[in-house]
Amino acid sequence: MANTRDIRNRIKGVKNTRQITRAMQMVATSKMKKAQDAAKAGRPYAMLLADIISTIADEFEEVTQSYFLERPVKHRGILVIGTDKGLCGGLNGNLFRAVSQIDNSAKYVAVGKRSSQFLSRTRRDLLADFSIPDKPTFADVRKIVEFMLRSYDEGSIDTIEVVYTSFINTLRQEPETIRLFPLNDLDSMVEKLHSRFQSDSKPASKDNREILIENKDAVLAELASLYLKQEIFQLVLESQASEHSARMVAMKSATDNAGSLIDDLTLQYNRARQAAITQEILEISAASFSQ
Amino acid sequence: MSLVLEIVTPDKIAFSEEVKSVVVPTLNGKIDILSKHIPIIDRVIPGDLKIEHNGKCNFLAIGSGFVEVYGNKVSIITDQAIDVSNQDESEIEDAIQKAKKALEEGKKSNLDRAQIEQLEAVARFEMAKKIARSKSR
Repeated sequence: MANTRDIRNRIKGVKNTRQITRAMQMVATSKMKKAQDAAKAGRPYAMLLADIISTIADEFEEVTQSYFLERPVKHRGILVIGTDKGLCGGLNGNLFRAVSQIDNSAKYVAVGKRSSQFLSRTRRDLLADFSIPDKPTFADVRKIVEFMLRSYDEGSIDTIEVVYTSFINTLRQEPETIRLFPLNDLDSMVEKLHSRFQSDSKPASKDNREILIENKDAVLAELASLYLKQEIFQLVLESQASEHSARMVAMKSATDNAGSLIDDLTLQYNRARQAAITQEILEISAASFSQ
Repeated sequence: MSLVLEIVTPDKIAFSEEVKSVVVPTLNGKIDILSKHIPIIDRVIPGDLKIEHNGKCNFLAIGSGFVEVYGNKVSIITDQAIDVSNQDESEIEDAIQKAKKALEEGKKSNLDRAQIEQLEAVARFEMAKKIARSKSR
């Protein structure tokens, strides 16, 4: 049987661990709240932008701008939004499982250290990796989008897709793939946006509208890139909300496990202590009998 | 019929109120929008936005984006919008200098076109703040 001092040391160690995991759980909880709020705050912008794009695109009989045209797909361009840090349960694992089902011709852009590590480890075609700070701003996302748009314009990628972790609720996050470019089906895009944000305001039917724009192709391109930026910004925020809630749940179960481990160890400690005392009494009485 | 103005930025709804009129800086010059305006969509360039409501004039500095007028609603979608009346003059001046310097350096070191455009937008936005500020007094 282990001696009492060893057990006492272990209890102390586990208590320290529990303190740390509990602190991490608290931090993750407050960060999750903030990330969720930020994701919500961006919704009106997304809705308005989608409405404007669909109205403008309706005006044109034929859209010739390359962002709106389907083209043969040689290389899919995929943005993988992972996390920088670990300790968030199966979040990254699930995400990478979704990525590994994609065939090999795809090219990747990574967000977060974990995803760039995964992509280079599995020898996929990684074009670039970016890191995003904890409280992302629109400008942080801009450089990613500009890079992807440039690759799209040059033809090195033929679609722009995002693999991210969608936030269903605090206990459930699931990896999801969304195709953003080309925007060849605007109506379904607007519909999807509405259903994702669960907004009941239907886009107003708009007719006899005059559009005061000279260079329509350029304006459409501008709108499309703005839409892409906004979408990716939203998805980054949502991934962060998922990350923090996954971390919160993982840390909560770590804290609980530490608690039950401490209970077990305390029991064992008491038993060892009792055994030592009994042993001592036995020895004393044996010694006094033999005299 | 009154006019509702809504200014939306990526992180919040910056302004949402009934107004009498609004002057928006666009690619084709400034347009003054009153109620019963024809429906239009136009590009917004960084500049000063004049809002008239409750018998007062307000100035906001806004970044680039789009404006949509439909019915009695004016929606402006932009990357940034700032009420300049509670901003410090010297702070704005500093920001302008900084933006200009960044732009110069960017041009010298051959940044790509998109980045220079972005710097220019920042510089213009800072100037807009200054103009809006001087008008609101």
